Amino acid sequence: MIVVRAVKTTDLDAVVALAQETGPGLTTFKPDREALAARIERSKRTMEGHAAPHEAGYFFVMEDTATNDVAGVCGIETQVGLEQPFYNYRVSTVVHASQELGVWTKMSLLNISHDLTGYAEVCSLFLSPRYRAHGVGGLLSRSRFMFMAQFRDRFPERLCAELRGHFDADGTSPFWRAVGSHFYQIDFNAADYLSAHGRKSFLAELMPRYPVYADLLPEDAQKVIGLTHRDTAPARKMLEAEGLRYQCHVDIFDAGPVLECHINDLRTVRESVVMPVAIGPAGSSDPSRAGTASAGAPRDSTPRSLVSNTLLADFRVGFAPGEPEGGVMRLSADDAAALLVGEGDPVRVLVSSHTKQSQPS
Amino acid sequence: MLFVRPGRLSDLDALEQMARAARPVLHSLPHDRHALEARIALSEDSFRAEVDFPGEEFYLFVLEDASSGKLLGTSSIVAAAGYAEPFYVFRNDALIHASRELHVNRKIHALTMSHELTGKSRLAGFYLDPSVPGDARAHLLSRARMMYVAANRRRFTSEVFSLLLGVTDEAGTSPFWEAVGRKFFARDFAEVEKISGGRSRTFIAEVMPSYPLYVPLLPEAAQRVLGEPNGKSLLAYDIHLEEGFEPDRFVDIFDAGPVLTAQVDRSACVRSNETRVIREVAEGASEAEMEAAGATTYLVANNRAGEFRCALAELPVARDAQAPLASSVRSLLGAVAGDAVRCVPLHRQPDDETATTDARADLDGETAALRATHTGVRR
Repeated sequence: MIVVRAVKTTDLDAVVALAQETGPGLTTFKPDREALAARIERSKRTMEGHAAPHEAGYFFVMEDTATNDVAGVCGIETQVGLEQPFYNYRVSTVVHASQELGVWTKMSLLNISHDLTGYAEVCSLFLSPRYRAHGVGGLLSRSRFMFMAQFRDRFPERLCAELRGHFDADGTSPFWRAVGSHFYQIDFNAADYLSAHGRKSFLAELMPRYPVYADLLPEDAQKVIGLTHRDTAPARKMLEAEGLRYQCHVDIFDAGPVLECHINDLRTVRESVVMPVAIGPAGSSDPSRAGTASAGAPRDSTPRSLVSNTLLADFRVGFAPGEPEGGVMRLSADDAAALLVGEGDPVRVLVSSHTKQSQPS
Repeated sequence: MLFVRPGRLSDLDALEQMARAARPVLHSLPHDRHALEARIALSEDSFRAEVDFPGEEFYLFVLEDASSGKLLGTSSIVAAAGYAEPFYVFRNDALIHASRELHVNRKIHALTMSHELTGKSRLAGFYLDPSVPGDARAHLLSRARMMYVAANRRRFTSEVFSLLLGVTDEAGTSPFWEAVGRKFFARDFAEVEKISGGRSRTFIAEVMPSYPLYVPLLPEAAQRVLGEPNGKSLLAYDIHLEEGFEPDRFVDIFDAGPVLTAQVDRSACVRSNETRVIREVAEGASEAEMEAAGATTYLVANNRAGEFRCALAELPVARDAQAPLASSVRSLLGAVAGDAVRCVPLHRQPDDETATTDARADLDGETAALRATHTGVRR
């Protein structure tokens, strides 16, 4: 079974190795052993309740329990911006009108904002290219919502997700060319790396202090405000299916959208249900790996559910075939073992109906 | 012979023609005949009024050909720009964006809507009939205003400014307007200029940007014309520089044309002033005398109460030569022998330093100026 589980200190080697698969471009997950060790340690402290609010954050890994192969990571920051400011542009509207002249114009204004301070953030999602065809991206992304649903009181009222903005075919951001490059005077990747690694003081020194009239920017820059990177479009679709929405906040570097919602409004939080486990052959005769559908797309006729245990430090979640019946979730012995649950233990179940339709294709 | 005098109501027809001929429109000269008439009346009242500090006054000058009585141009001074309303310009500020950690440092300019020039005296409404040849007349018509300012310091602020036309392409399109104004107004520049009638109207607050505009974020075509004078304004630009105006950190809000400012104390009309006493010379005799004395062209102004006059005349460079003027020039100036007139070299002299002594005395007005004359004579 492929599960997403809370990270352990012993995962460090595997995580560093995984980070080596990222290649250039992704600056938030680099094979920096020290940084990754700190990240794992921080997640552990958070689980144990020893992390201060400003540093609280969770880190998860995706593992194939059959092979112990670590194939993906994802994270949640509990409350962003409590130590270093969390910067975004708020895209606001200004209307200039004069009755005397019969003029009425509407423009967009980019305001540096800290509006999202104190929000939880889902972040750091990386799935090994080796697994991209396996339909497990949805599991990796949604695992965090299952965790939030299970440990709702560990999180604030609202949640956000920053998505990578649009880049041209030559790999450059039109928005960065039009705005950021003039102010930050370093290249995009350097700025992104510093920012992602908590070295944000240069932002306050260099960023535009006044609002920027978006309508005065070159057209190619205007057009990409709130636009998602081609590669990130499936992630956006998935987050939107979960209930997150673009609310006029964008990234200060590439103008990628920030999606937001109330955690209580997340579909996974609203629709997942806790029920006991029954071990035994599931209603469906599909073997335990059905959820991963290694060859080709999963058959639509096969019902499956997202199932997690209710443990904190040993949190685990994965897709299992079948649906709850009669108030219990039937799991095969292997799946139950992979999720660290036994007969009668509670599990959180999100039935497949919507998990299937919102799978990234 | 040409001379500059205050405009009169009887000039209405000629002024109306000039107002309509002027391209782009002159904000100080409305096309509407009644409005124009009111402007001229305001100017007549302003010249007559006892003024202790600048207010609503408006001073309109005309360039007249003495032989034909024809008017060939006009210029004006607004005593307090905007008066009761804000006068808008863009102030071009430099902001430093530096990070010690990243070893970067850059000066970034931003244009902020500013009211800083509100209430300052403004040279405006310059129009010269295109059929008039030669630069000297443009100098006369433009600089006569500063001759008036220099002689009537209380009527004006100690700093004056002038807004020159910005760059437009062959089609009359302003790259700056296209990049900025159009976004806010959604209209053509010419159209808005026609209806706007100046830089003090309420709609500017309603329509123009309330936040600064970062210059590097503007299209390059718009950045290039920032503070650059239109080809048609190059002569005006040079005349202003000669008078002592300097490009400041202000530009026009619509076409980014240069805003030139001058401290009246440091302007040529004050610094290089030589108040001289008129001496009678015969019409022919004058020329011979001039040649012998090494003559040069002067702006000569008579500030007789109620009827300011300014003309060009050849005068000997030597200050103790007084002002030998032929009767034709005396009558232009409405002056007689023994009158003191303000004389300023049309172009800067090589050793301009000596001319500064009068500047301070000038602050006290005409009597002080006379006193300065005597000092000059003694020296």
